[in-house]
Amino acid sequence: MSQTTPQVADTEVLDRAVDAPRVRVLLTVVADADLAAALAVVGRQVYEPGPEVVVVGDVKGLDLPEGVSVSANLEDAIGSTDSSFDYLWLLHADARPRPDALSALIAESERNDASLAGSKLLKAGTMDELESVGGATDVFGEPYSGLDEGEIDLQQYDVVREVAFVQSASMLVRRDLAQGLKGLDPLLPPVSAGLDFSQRARLAGGKVISVPSSEVYHQTRCGARGSARLEQAGRLRAMVTAYSRLTLLWVLPYDFLVSVLDSLGSLLLFRWRPLVRHVYSWAWNTYHLPSTIRQRSRLKQIRSEGDEELFRFQARGSLRLRSILEELSARALSLFDDDQALARGTKRVWTAPGIWGALIGVALILFAARSILFTGMPNTGFSFPFEPAGVALERWLGGWNASGLGSPTSVHPSVGLTGAASFLWFGLEGASRTLLTVLAGVLGLVGLGRLAGRLGLRGPGRYLAGLVLIAGPGTAALVGRGSWLALAAAAMLPWAVRAAFIHPHHARRGRLGLAGWALLTGILLAALSPLLVVVPLLTVAIWRGLGGDRGSYLLGLVTLLGGIAGAAFLLGDPGWILDPGRRLAVEIGALWPMLVIVATLPLLVVGGRQGRLGLTGGVLALLGVSGALLVPLGPGVEEALLVTGSFGAALVAAAALDSISRSVFAIVAAAGGVGMLVLSMVTMSNGRLGLPAGDVNERLEFAITLADDDGAGRILHASVDRSLIPGEVRAGPGFWYRVLDASGTTHDEVWLPQPRDGDRELADAVVDIASGADLRPGARLASHAIDWVVLEGPAFRLDEVLVAQLDLVPIPLDPSARVYENLDAAPLAAGDGVVWERSGSGFSGEEVDGRIALAVNHDEGWEPESLRDGWHASVSGVAGQASYTPEPLFLGLAIATVVGLLASVAAIVVGRRRR
Amino acid sequence: MMRYVAATVMVGLGLTAVLLPPAEAPAPGFETGLESPPISVCPVVETANRHSALSILSSVDGEGRISSFAAGSETGALEFRTGGSGSVTLQAADVGAVDFTGTLIEMPSENTASGVTVTGGAGFAAESCADTPSGQALISGGSTADGSFQILLLNPYAGEAIVDMVVATETGLESDARFSSVVVPAHSRINMDLTAIIPGRERISVTMTTTRGSVLAAGLQAIGNRTALWRAVEPGVDWWLPTPAGGESKQLLITNPSASQVQYQLDFYGPDGLVELMADGMLEPHGEVRIPLTEQTTDAVGYRVIAAEPVVSTLWVDSAEGLAATTGSQMEAPTWLLPGARGPAGGAGRAVVLNSGLDGVTVTVRSLKEESLVRDFELAAEDVLVINLVEANGYRIEATGPVVALWTAQSEGDGSAAVGIPLHDG
Repeated sequence: MSQTTPQVADTEVLDRAVDAPRVRVLLTVVADADLAAALAVVGRQVYEPGPEVVVVGDVKGLDLPEGVSVSANLEDAIGSTDSSFDYLWLLHADARPRPDALSALIAESERNDASLAGSKLLKAGTMDELESVGGATDVFGEPYSGLDEGEIDLQQYDVVREVAFVQSASMLVRRDLAQGLKGLDPLLPPVSAGLDFSQRARLAGGKVISVPSSEVYHQTRCGARGSARLEQAGRLRAMVTAYSRLTLLWVLPYDFLVSVLDSLGSLLLFRWRPLVRHVYSWAWNTYHLPSTIRQRSRLKQIRSEGDEELFRFQARGSLRLRSILEELSARALSLFDDDQALARGTKRVWTAPGIWGALIGVALILFAARSILFTGMPNTGFSFPFEPAGVALERWLGGWNASGLGSPTSVHPSVGLTGAASFLWFGLEGASRTLLTVLAGVLGLVGLGRLAGRLGLRGPGRYLAGLVLIAGPGTAALVGRGSWLALAAAAMLPWAVRAAFIHPHHARRGRLGLAGWALLTGILLAALSPLLVVVPLLTVAIWRGLGGDRGSYLLGLVTLLGGIAGAAFLLGDPGWILDPGRRLAVEIGALWPMLVIVATLPLLVVGGRQGRLGLTGGVLALLGVSGALLVPLGPGVEEALLVTGSFGAALVAAAALDSISRSVFAIVAAAGGVGMLVLSMVTMSNGRLGLPAGDVNERLEFAITLADDDGAGRILHASVDRSLIPGEVRAGPGFWYRVLDASGTTHDEVWLPQPRDGDRELADAVVDIASGADLRPGARLASHAIDWVVLEGPAFRLDEVLVAQLDLVPIPLDPSARVYENLDAAPLAAGDGVVWERSGSGFSGEEVDGRIALAVNHDEGWEPESLRDGWHASVSGVAGQASYTPEPLFLGLAIATVVGLLASVAAIVVGRRRR
Repeated sequence: MMRYVAATVMVGLGLTAVLLPPAEAPAPGFETGLESPPISVCPVVETANRHSALSILSSVDGEGRISSFAAGSETGALEFRTGGSGSVTLQAADVGAVDFTGTLIEMPSENTASGVTVTGGAGFAAESCADTPSGQALISGGSTADGSFQILLLNPYAGEAIVDMVVATETGLESDARFSSVVVPAHSRINMDLTAIIPGRERISVTMTTTRGSVLAAGLQAIGNRTALWRAVEPGVDWWLPTPAGGESKQLLITNPSASQVQYQLDFYGPDGLVELMADGMLEPHGEVRIPLTEQTTDAVGYRVIAAEPVVSTLWVDSAEGLAATTGSQMEAPTWLLPGARGPAGGAGRAVVLNSGLDGVTVTVRSLKEESLVRDFELAAEDVLVINLVEANGYRIEATGPVVALWTAQSEGDGSAAVGIPLHDG
């Protein structure tokens, strides 16, 4: 913009000046703003007759030029303006108008018959960066400028137009209207003050326009006066002041709802301030309600237009919600698209290779999960419903582990995760389980694509390779046995590994956020499969050993720290790592290792990142597969190795399918990758992502239906076919068996804790019964609260011996199992003539003076007044409830996990703010 | 360089996974040997003119329990102690037994046996009780032509049982819906009165196949004031039957439970030892041969039946002196228990011990009562020893080699025969 040079007035000009409207400048003092400079700028305005200047605000200690008067507040200044003035120019002291700014305002106001005109605000000290050209709002007063962040003024908005509001930094208002409106609301910060004033002006019959030719550089120091939360509150006040009662009747509840949704949406984006702002806004307005009512009364006196006049300039819906939804969807879409093409909405969207791979992959995952989506999750193998959120979290925080005959040792860490998921999903355990499972499929796919992207791949194959992760050699074997957790752990693994690699664009970013992600993903991974936390560090080591960059040992170690989530479980049940007798001993055909080798070796020739990633994946895949097959360790090790096997195979597939050239080697590698994809798809094509069909709980529902007043006790489930028994099993003489909760098996019961006295006694009883020597097996099992004996699969020894016994009554309840009812079974908790029921992780019932025998393994932690009664515990019945006091070690480790989780989230949030 | 090292490692791992045998899969513990709980299931008759006494023999002074059952529950029970002699005799009426029913005896230890003796105005009968049920059992020798014949199906266990019966008579296989899928509820008995179902049959054999649960069976034949009580047994290929001398109408019944022909051979022990091929032939499907023993030879002291497929051999005595029936033994053993064996008041009882071996043995005979009597006898190879019995709860026979023991009695104008119970480990 060129500086306009003042012209020497000739006679014609003087004549025009005599007829020109008179203007009084009300220069509002702004803290830290240079008032003298502001006065000087005003003085340079090319306008005749020269405007009279009144400084509004506290000017103590300032030496004002001659002719400049002072007013304590804007209302007084407006009120004291006599009728010889036509316009008032409300100007902030931090505004620096160009010399023709005033004349432009007046000229356009006169030409457009406007009552209120606002200048175009440019940010001072920038290359003509636009701050405001007036704007629209939504019905809640949320301003919408239409400007992009940092948008430069190229005169693209230089059209005089009616707007919903103009900012109060520089506005020209007819004197009579200003006096009727009694000026700006002194309680409001600048933006909402402008909004409020504009709305009142419009309702009073005034026309509000933006005059782009009036350019004002704004130092935005006035912004410091009003924080964001005060602006939020001011918008609500402006709304309450302006709208009719009928409009308020629906707008206020609607605004409250929007506030709630905005807060929740922002929390999903790790922003807590919007919540605070909304709370503050409603509280502030409640406090200032009397003055708001007075404002409404004043407006009522001069109001000549209805709310429709305001609606004309308002956007539909909520700008806030639209913004938050746009951001959330952009975040979600950006999962698939490293180039952010979708998020930016560019035409390159459909040329981004990852998008196609991701969309096809997600479609395949959803197809593979169709039975889960339409008919629900299977309840079999190692996949069972979540416990209610409160109970699950109580158990995870060191509460009583009710699996089998009970144990003080910690439950599997995933129990806490499922509890948290159910809690967040409004306590709907079934829905959260379904959601987590399907989400696991999608997240696994996306995670692998993002990891491969971070390691330099760009093709569509990196997303499709996620199918190999979900249904590769190891996960297919585990998921096929019903291990829901293997699916979830496989899905989480690439995210944790990715957290140990640094994207080149992020290299200069704060390490805090990266460490936060590494810790967070490590904790989540450990909660699903504790030993898998080693894999990110291992991957970094192999990758870097092969000359790769971006891998961080430090972040890998931070991921390892996430293992704290599984520490309590591992300490309580070392057999999960060490006892080979608990392995599933799954079978993996020779085809998978061969495919991995076939796909990997040609990639060595292809070289580059493809070669390195393929080789890294190949080593991981075959390390995992061969380890799982050959290493005689516990089921935890087996699980981690098998999932690692799939993860490695998926990396190989990603590298093999990344870019296909005419090279023979690339074609052979791609053929291997396609082979792995096809094999995976076949595995997961049963509609349940590879999980087996069946509902054990439904089949055993008779135990609930036929339960007597003692309640549903326990089921002794036995078979020679290990896969027919839910969860982990114990070895009996020639068959497998375990004890189940007759009220329905839940996720926490999948793992059987280390045997204790009750378990050993039960084992002896099972051996005796299986020998046929025990004529009354029901009596033998009674103290373990075993109400039912269920035999599955082919007939075996127990079938033989239970034919000739006296107190287990065979009942033909299930066509595929042999069911025996034990009429002599003791209740789970009873004594002194009363029976107690389950309550959370403990028991409760009628208060009695005597003792209550609990059919659980004895531990001192039972309260009140725990005593050993044989193998089981008994408590005093005086309190009417029995609860378990956690062991300090397990409770401490659970708390440490929570602290780690919060610390990781905090690190991520702080890291984001620093960015 | 590292790439090639890694590739080599990878290929090595792959080959390892493919070529090496996987780690041993977890397996459940070893199956333990099958033990039978020390029980006996005895058919008892408790009517106005028939009373049953239950004799329990063991080698220890221990406690046990006897109960009677009917209609799904216990009708009565009694705790007992075997005392210093390791034996006791109880009255079935004391445990609430009524009619032709069953009792379950929970024995104080292994190596026990029990037997039932039916006395009263309507005949005298005795039989050893069964311990383990079998999937298939056969009872032969009944008749509905000139008396009543009942079969008692006993299910003392907690599960319902289903039995399919194949009833063969001189007219062939009987077809009656009541013989198929006979349901025996838990803790119950089913009394099948064949007299009402198939009257007028002279030779009846019943093969019972249990398709679900467990059942023990016994037959009760009454002709006038003569009564015979004997239990169904599992078919076998070898049978030994000591036979006391005398008796005018002893018959050996060899019955084929299967639906195919079975070849059999009958040998006998006489003064010259074992004489093979006294008779042989082919048993028709579900067929039976009745061999009148006294018409073949009067010298026989014992018999042996060998069959190509399992059959059942039954001794059937129907004479003016009495009516008796018992099955042979499928095994030889050095130690036998003869529960209930005694010389009844007003009658006589005899134990018959057959040495089927090629060497002579010493036989120790012990009466089990408060003051036991013990006597030793020398028994030549392939010879039989007959001992007169005195009042006791039963007898224990111990030999230095394998023998087969049986006891007979005559009282109240009727007779009885009951094969002993061999002890597996003394």
